[in-house]
Amino acid sequence: MSEKIGFIINPIAGMGGRVGLKGTDGVLDKALQLGAHPVACQKAEEMFREFSTLSKNHNNLLWVTCSGVMGRTVLEAAGMKNIQIVYSPSGDTTTAHDTQTACKRFLDQHLDLLVFCGGDGTARDIYTIIDKKLPLLGIPAGVKMHSGVFGINTYATAKMLLEFINKRLTIGDVEIMDLDEELYRKGEWKVRLFGVARGIIEPTYIQVGKACFESVSDEEVKDELAEHVKDELEKYKDWLFLFCSGGTIDSIAKKLHIEHTLLGIDAIYQKQLVGRDLNEEQILALLKKYPKAKILLSPIGAQGFIVGRGNLQLSPTVIKKIGIDNFIVVATPSKLIHTPLLRVDTGDKKLNRLFVKQGYFMVVIGYRLSRVVRLQTNSF
Amino acid sequence: MTQITKRNANKFLKNEYDELVKNHFEWNIRVLESGSKPHSIVNGKEVIMMCSNNYLNLSNHPRLIQGAIEAAKKYGAGSGSVRAIAGTLKLHMEVEKRLARFKRTESALIYQTGFAANSGLIPQLVGDGDIVISDELNHGSIIDGVRLTKADRAIFKHRDMGDLERVLKDADRKYRRILIITDGVFSMDGDIAPMDKIVKLANEFGAMTYVDDAHGEGVIGEDGRGIGSHFRIEGKIDVEMGTFSKAFGVVGGLIAGSQDLINFAYNKSRTWLLSGSHPPAVSGAQLAAIDVLETESEHVKRLWDNTKYFKNELNSLGFNTGESETPITPVIVGDSSKAKDLSNRLFDEGVFALPIVFPMVARDKARIRTMMNAGLTKNDLDFALDKFEKLGKELSII
Ligand SMILES: Cc1ncc(COP(=O)(O)O)c(C=O)c1O
Repeated sequence: MSEKIGFIINPIAGMGGRVGLKGTDGVLDKALQLGAHPVACQKAEEMFREFSTLSKNHNNLLWVTCSGVMGRTVLEAAGMKNIQIVYSPSGDTTTAHDTQTACKRFLDQHLDLLVFCGGDGTARDIYTIIDKKLPLLGIPAGVKMHSGVFGINTYATAKMLLEFINKRLTIGDVEIMDLDEELYRKGEWKVRLFGVARGIIEPTYIQVGKACFESVSDEEVKDELAEHVKDELEKYKDWLFLFCSGGTIDSIAKKLHIEHTLLGIDAIYQKQLVGRDLNEEQILALLKKYPKAKILLSPIGAQGFIVGRGNLQLSPTVIKKIGIDNFIVVATPSKLIHTPLLRVDTGDKKLNRLFVKQGYFMVVIGYRLSRVVRLQTNSF
Repeated sequence: MTQITKRNANKFLKNEYDELVKNHFEWNIRVLESGSKPHSIVNGKEVIMMCSNNYLNLSNHPRLIQGAIEAAKKYGAGSGSVRAIAGTLKLHMEVEKRLARFKRTESALIYQTGFAANSGLIPQLVGDGDIVISDELNHGSIIDGVRLTKADRAIFKHRDMGDLERVLKDADRKYRRILIITDGVFSMDGDIAPMDKIVKLANEFGAMTYVDDAHGEGVIGEDGRGIGSHFRIEGKIDVEMGTFSKAFGVVGGLIAGSQDLINFAYNKSRTWLLSGSHPPAVSGAQLAAIDVLETESEHVKRLWDNTKYFKNELNSLGFNTGESETPITPVIVGDSSKAKDLSNRLFDEGVFALPIVFPMVARDKARIRTMMNAGLTKNDLDFALDKFEKLGKELSII
């Protein structure tokens, strides 16, 4: 059976970078005035050409896309066959609205995958409509790519696409990140989790025989992580647990039948929710009541942040009160493959140094199973 | 009476096998009609054997064969029981004594297999409140042994001492006992664990060391005494585990270490206590294998001469042979399908070497793993090299 793959470009993504703007959300006119040229089409074409070279036979694939620069032009230029158009934008310049309308059409098409080209902003627009209904794969073209849906470059994206079609990669949770562009243009860097989408991931393998491996699903790995966290909750009965944001922690909470805020920090005491979507002040108040606390977090986004400037609730004061020793960092092995380093930026130099001094975390990757992951503490 | 079929109890057997076949993950067993020889008859075809663990070709040594025959004649075909009850022959005790002398340790113990040693002993060495620290590329039998413990588990990056130290530092604060386990020679790449450094770190932190020297015994160290001898730290590794099934040319697991270790091990290892002991023929051959290693140094020497020659020639042909320091020489070809192709074509041309593919190794590091044999002649090696050159060019590897 041949795969049916959706494809969409945000043709204006990536234009700000060349003219010194960080992203084009809301400043498109300015970018165009400054003489920005579309790079997304170029990147997308590059990716499809790499894909053509890698895959000997892709003529059995069906491409579902939009007309013109939103898809068709690039696919044809790269020599793809079997193109079906499901949406045509009306104006000359395309907008987020076009992207989202096209995505609604894609949802009726029973696609196996939706490939898109753009930046974090495009990923957010698409995710808003697609949610977890379709797996996504992003060709990076924007200025900043913090979301986990992107390949690291066009070649890596082509390879992921091929391996997905060959069923050597599977589907799992990936994060969509949100960078405050208004602040970013002013030189301030604030990124937070926007949502958890379906994306292409490396399967986790366990050895079942001498030369025989079985891939285990992300779900099974998360079952193990949940089992591990359950043990910790039972072992530290009179401790408060802060469950941070992200797809991994959310899955763990669900498996333990604990309500959880995907994008926020919740407090759990003796397996009961005692605080939902907390801000810094509320966390500090809880820490007065429960002085012994552990914090459960998982790296989010493509950069492996566990504590970043975006996590304002996890302020330096909160971290110091809890203590680095009481961090429990968890991650699925498939995620760690692409996150060789964890990153921390608390916004407090002295506290950052404490993390630097430690230099690593023992990251829990299965039931009572952990491995060393190094820590990088600068911003970038 | 109506019969209600609740469920089909056996359906999964076929379903799961079919699934394996569909994904090409099933084992196609190749049958040796000749015994494991440097030139073997495999599935009816004569091939040069480059994938057995019979490194020293001792399985064909007249003294081993003689040892097996004599022991069988004298003591019978079977041992009659598990070791603990009535299955310990004087011959078993003699092998253990000779093994300890060979390994230069206080004492030694024989298990049915290496697998039984790892899966039986490891779970006894650590428990709740302890931690096992493993190299990420450890052998499956270690992994299974570790799974049976109640201890926490941590993994360090392959042969990365900085990483090991980090885990140790973290573990030091949190655990009662710490056990570091590593393969001695890693069977995929043929590289060697830095055992001297591991022992040094372990001493600093009061951790116990356990090495699986399955591919090192009979191969590295003075006259094949293994990794302890290789690094000149004999007696400093707490548990040296190994097997008679590879270079020794017979079968059977072993551990060597202090008398305390051995007393503990045989009283606690469930695999040792609850499974029958070796038949006399096995022990007779084991004893002869130790004899041969102690008196005929030419086998180990020939293994290494062959290894050096073969590796050098492969390199000058332009093959990438990785980081190997032992008679296991990987020939890295890249893509999985290429490795499988090369292996099949080599077999057709009369060279038997298996492909190792993802996920055993990285996707772009698929390889043919060659294992040297002391019984191969220079002519044999030239023949094999010739085929490697020819096919390597045809498949655009070199
Ligand atoms: C590293 C390692 N350990 C243990 C074993 C198991 O040894 P045995 O064949 O004696 O069960 C093997 C062999 O497959 C091995 O390669």
